[in-house]
Amino acid sequence: MTMQLPGRRPQRRFLPFSAWHLILAPISLLFALPLLWLVVSSLMTNAQINRFPPTIIPDSLHLDGYRYVLRNALFPRWFMNSVIVAGVVVLGNLVFGSLAGYAFARMRFRGSNLVLALMLATLVIPFQITMIPTFLLMKDMGLIDSLGALIVPSLVTPFAVFLLRQFFLSLPREIEEAAWIDGCSRLRTLWVIVMPLARPALGTVAVLTFLATWNDLAWPLIAINNDHNYTLQLGLTTFQGQHRTQWAAVMAGNMITVLPVLLAFLAAQRTFIQSLTSSGVKG
Amino acid sequence: MPVHETESPRLSRRDLLRGGLSLVAVAGGASLVSACSGGSSDGTSANGTVTITMWHGQADQGKATLDKLVADFQRKNPKVKVNASSGGVLADSMLQKITTALSSGQYPDIAYIFGPDIASVARSPHVAHLGKYTKQPSLRWDDFYPAARDAVTVDGEARGFPALVDNLCVAYNKKVFKNAGVPEPTEGWTWDDFVATARSLTDPGQGVFGTGWPADGGEDCVWRIYPMIWDLGGDIVSDDGKSVAFDDGSGLRALATINQLGKDKSVYPDTKPGSETMYQIFNNDKMGMVPTGPWQLPDFVDNKTDYGVVPLPSYSGKTVTIAGPDTWTVFDNGSARVDAAVKFLTFLTEADQDVQWASQAGSLPLRNSTAQSREWKNHVSKTVGLDVFSNALTYARTRPTIPNYPEISQPLGQAIVKMLLDKATPQDALDEAVRAANAALTTG
Amino acid sequence: MATHSFRATINRPTPDQAQRRPAVKRWLGESPDGWGFVLPAVVIILGLSIVPMIWSLVLSMQSADLVTPARWIGLANYRVLAQDPNFRSAVVHTLVYTGLFVPLSIAGGLGLAIMLNRQVRFIGVYRTMVFVPFVISAAAQGVLFSFIFDAHFGVANAVLSWFGIGPQGFFADGNQALLLLVLIGLWSGIGFCVVVYLAGLQDIQQELIEAAAIDGAGTWGSFRYVVWPALRPITVFLSIWETLQALQLFDLVFVTTRGGPLEATTVIVFFVWNQAFQLFHAGYAAAAAYVLAFGLLVLSLGLRFARRHGHAEGR
Repeated sequence: MTMQLPGRRPQRRFLPFSAWHLILAPISLLFALPLLWLVVSSLMTNAQINRFPPTIIPDSLHLDGYRYVLRNALFPRWFMNSVIVAGVVVLGNLVFGSLAGYAFARMRFRGSNLVLALMLATLVIPFQITMIPTFLLMKDMGLIDSLGALIVPSLVTPFAVFLLRQFFLSLPREIEEAAWIDGCSRLRTLWVIVMPLARPALGTVAVLTFLATWNDLAWPLIAINNDHNYTLQLGLTTFQGQHRTQWAAVMAGNMITVLPVLLAFLAAQRTFIQSLTSSGVKG
Repeated sequence: MPVHETESPRLSRRDLLRGGLSLVAVAGGASLVSACSGGSSDGTSANGTVTITMWHGQADQGKATLDKLVADFQRKNPKVKVNASSGGVLADSMLQKITTALSSGQYPDIAYIFGPDIASVARSPHVAHLGKYTKQPSLRWDDFYPAARDAVTVDGEARGFPALVDNLCVAYNKKVFKNAGVPEPTEGWTWDDFVATARSLTDPGQGVFGTGWPADGGEDCVWRIYPMIWDLGGDIVSDDGKSVAFDDGSGLRALATINQLGKDKSVYPDTKPGSETMYQIFNNDKMGMVPTGPWQLPDFVDNKTDYGVVPLPSYSGKTVTIAGPDTWTVFDNGSARVDAAVKFLTFLTEADQDVQWASQAGSLPLRNSTAQSREWKNHVSKTVGLDVFSNALTYARTRPTIPNYPEISQPLGQAIVKMLLDKATPQDALDEAVRAANAALTTG
Repeated sequence: MATHSFRATINRPTPDQAQRRPAVKRWLGESPDGWGFVLPAVVIILGLSIVPMIWSLVLSMQSADLVTPARWIGLANYRVLAQDPNFRSAVVHTLVYTGLFVPLSIAGGLGLAIMLNRQVRFIGVYRTMVFVPFVISAAAQGVLFSFIFDAHFGVANAVLSWFGIGPQGFFADGNQALLLLVLIGLWSGIGFCVVVYLAGLQDIQQELIEAAAIDGAGTWGSFRYVVWPALRPITVFLSIWETLQALQLFDLVFVTTRGGPLEATTVIVFFVWNQAFQLFHAGYAAAAAYVLAFGLLVLSLGLRFARRHGHAEGR
């Protein structure tokens, strides 16, 4: 961690930029390289993509893939569906996950350990088995082939509850206890005092839950039949025929799916991954 | 002294909790019960219109063609409404989706099921029995090619309509042959010729392979060995369905041929699911020949590959190949809907519609009458090699429609992959596959 | 700064300063509030999972194919599983993958998070780039890595040849395929650990670090005595979460190797999927899934036992 330890002089710079760039840049490039490949491929034609060995740097750029995707009349609908599902699921997890996570972290009530253990226990059976009884439950609620089937099972997840509980545990108790003594109810304490401190945790839950929902393919595949109710990921699979794939469209579709998420993350990370000058407890 | 909030409103929450959990438990119990009863409404609306649902698993061109044919049908049959959609899946994932649907009691009327899967799916009591329909002369059931009929027949009765028919022939890249100075293959060639040709086409320095074979152990990997086994007098499964029938020497010789390709390194083993890389290599003039089906021809045309097609080689000199038909499996949602489904599928598979489906979706004719039609002959003349595939339909055989088929296919697939990667001797690989398949077949 | 620690000492509520409630209320503790807070989560999570868990358990004791009525066979599936060499190798593959993946992803995630937890120009861009793999769908990753690691035409072998290393089999080589999956899993999964750790690092109080520095701790000292203990709840979470993810690996295997070559990468959940949806042995598949579940249960009980006898959790 870089911190201005008291009494240290700023080091003399040998390079015009921080030495950390020399480490961070190559590592980051390693992670982001496939994105470059995605970008380049989305700007090629099918014929260019099908060349073997594949062309890394194409001699010409085309928008065929994007045109194919955006010309699809249902594409905006799929986008909206994904946004709605992901948005509602994130909201649900933030609200209900915080409530439950706080309760598990700070409140002692009978059965809390058992309930928490049970929640975690629900994670041990793999999806391939639980998807059928979950499908049955959704069918009985009349939600199959609607966005409800995609929202309800994920409205609160053990992930959100567990992660927020751990975060709340790591917060120092003093502020809450001060508020408690001053007469704040638990709910008020949570809402007014703790939540602002938990911004990093909430941001993390929001981002990861959003991504899990946005990228989910296996469950929508089972739960949705009508192409008006497809999510984006499901819609992208329609560009792959049984024997032939519209690769340019697949890449373009992936780009349209991925890019907004990355840009949003870039903008948002500044708010929930703060710089070190702010401390956890406002003294 | 801090004052705790009153607790009277909170106690009721506890009751809510108990109530909520019991509600869910009841719902869960109810769903378990309803899963066993199954069935849904009979789909007939007040004015007598029957609505049926079809999951066709098609995208792109196939979907466009089907949408048009559905529209044509509905114009001529206003009393039947067809809800055609891909079902949310591509055909590759349809099995999983239909299995889930069947176990939940909520399933469509028609679904696109692969040939080897229909016997497993047909175990369900929800799959319709079409025996009484196929006997009707107006359907002209015998006009369908034998391979197509066999593919939808389980235990002697039709459970669906043929959807797509194909077979296996060898496509070769004329440019690669010319560069290597090797003469092009001709009908009537033998597997020894094939192996020798592959060897002479292979050029490691240039990265050129003689041929390719899917090496993921899946069905596309396995079905290619059956013509070899049939040609040598063996078969896939015995008559009683309790043991494999390729352990009589036919399997050994077939595996040895494949192993020879692996040893010569003249074969590109495509380990990726989907086998697309194999054809990419072919289209980029880095592979000389590849056994394939008619569905690959549009891809060759798009990539402007200079290709030709010949029938599969054999050991005995007589032509033999395999057909891998897919099916429109029909499900029972009440007799009104089954009637409507049969009506629609009859229309879909009649020569006039079949020729559109075959020519646009890259299939072959399902019926003899389609193959005789002017439109089909016209289409064949425009596509290189399609005539070879079309003719091969007359001598193509199909895999058996038994529910345990995957128990044979998976071990055999592993054996073939071992041959392609040269990881075992043909005898050892065969013994292992036979042992595993027989064990699975006997325990059922 | 000083007021903070002052407050901590004088304002901590003493036991009898705490609410003097009647005995009933004391027994209930905060139950009414607590249950109220967790109710929505309980209804959704437990409500929707209880039925599937029971259904799966029942299924594991039946001979079922999902499309015909099932037959009760008690523990027969489990007995057969114990003898099944394919299941045994699936378990081994899964354990190998988990044993490599979890420690590496936590250590790597923490290391990267610490590196990214500074104010340097473009830090936002670097953080986003590390996060990229997590955003790309499994299907796209499958296509990408199949192409990179193709034994004959892939970029990886081309790069290796520059260093004079011969061509490797990668996904076609039974010995390398699983390790390759660990690498790809790390590449795509480490962003998750990084993000969670970054969030955790924000909550570490600057004052504590400065206090440690005043006391003479160097960078390593302040890490060991301030940062690492403060991150303990996060590390616990990540260890559990990543272990669960690793034990349930499926997507990556499905899009790259389909369990091959020659079942070298068949992991437990792939085994389950294959049994249930390709071979129509759903009961057998459910039994395999429950073996995994029981294994996790035993593991977690063991950890709980160990923790109770270790130092107390900071509560």
